Amino acid sequence: MGLIQREIEQRGIPTISVTINRTLTEAVRPPRALFLRWPFGHPFGDPGAREQQMTVLKEALRALLTMTQPGTLVDLPYKWRRQVYAGLPESIRLDAGPR
Amino acid sequence: MRPSFLTWLFSHVPWLAERWAAHYEGVKSADVPWTPLRKPLAQCRVALVTTAGVHLTDQPPFDMKDKQGDPSFRELPPTLEPGRWTITHDYYDHRDALADVNIVLPLDRLRELAAAGEIGEVAPRHFSFMGHIDGPHIPELTGRTAPQVAGLLQADRVDAAVLAPA
Repeated sequence: MGLIQREIEQRGIPTISVTINRTLTEAVRPPRALFLRWPFGHPFGDPGAREQQMTVLKEALRALLTMTQPGTLVDLPYKWRRQVYAGLPESIRLDAGPR
Repeated sequence: MRPSFLTWLFSHVPWLAERWAAHYEGVKSADVPWTPLRKPLAQCRVALVTTAGVHLTDQPPFDMKDKQGDPSFRELPPTLEPGRWTITHDYYDHRDALADVNIVLPLDRLRELAAAGEIGEVAPRHFSFMGHIDGPHIPELTGRTAPQVAGLLQADRVDAAVLAPA
């Protein structure tokens, strides 16, 4: 995935990826990535967990605004299950301008 | 649809997958490409790219017989109609993703963000790969199919892409 990401970024489109395999992402070095220590097959969360999915998607979009160094890899603080997601998506603001 | 033992292993013993990745020498990179975001997100057309093996039922499935994977991709519409899509990917347990594709490809969530005005719009097409790629398929991915997808995203005048694995 990081390899695909690099090719897209190289051709002038800003990219962000969500990863659940930190070692692989460290090796591939995509431009921007968010790491979650979550089970394989669940990068945006659980089936039907709308707020959990929205939290990760909004974090990804916000990273396009906040990350400024090529190769930035940030660990998201969210726990897989023991986390209250209600209200979290609303707290993630996407309305800052691009720098 | 039952996951294989390898699938189970990678899903339940994360350090095994991490160790596999540590030996994945073919992909180590030095320099990092960079393109800054050019406009506010509220004006951006956003596309999703998944490596979770999602495809439409009338598209050819990903090749599961080749041990080194399948570097090809499938174009997806912005809305996946129930019964018109599936997942072909033997290397992860995709039963949950079949129950709700948004856990690997959050098109519904992206549409909600567009409706709320938080992003400009959802791109007219999205792209799907099968993320288990090795050997000679790596240069085919980086030299051919990934650049093709980049070209299609450019043609669609996409402003930002969000990628996610299985």
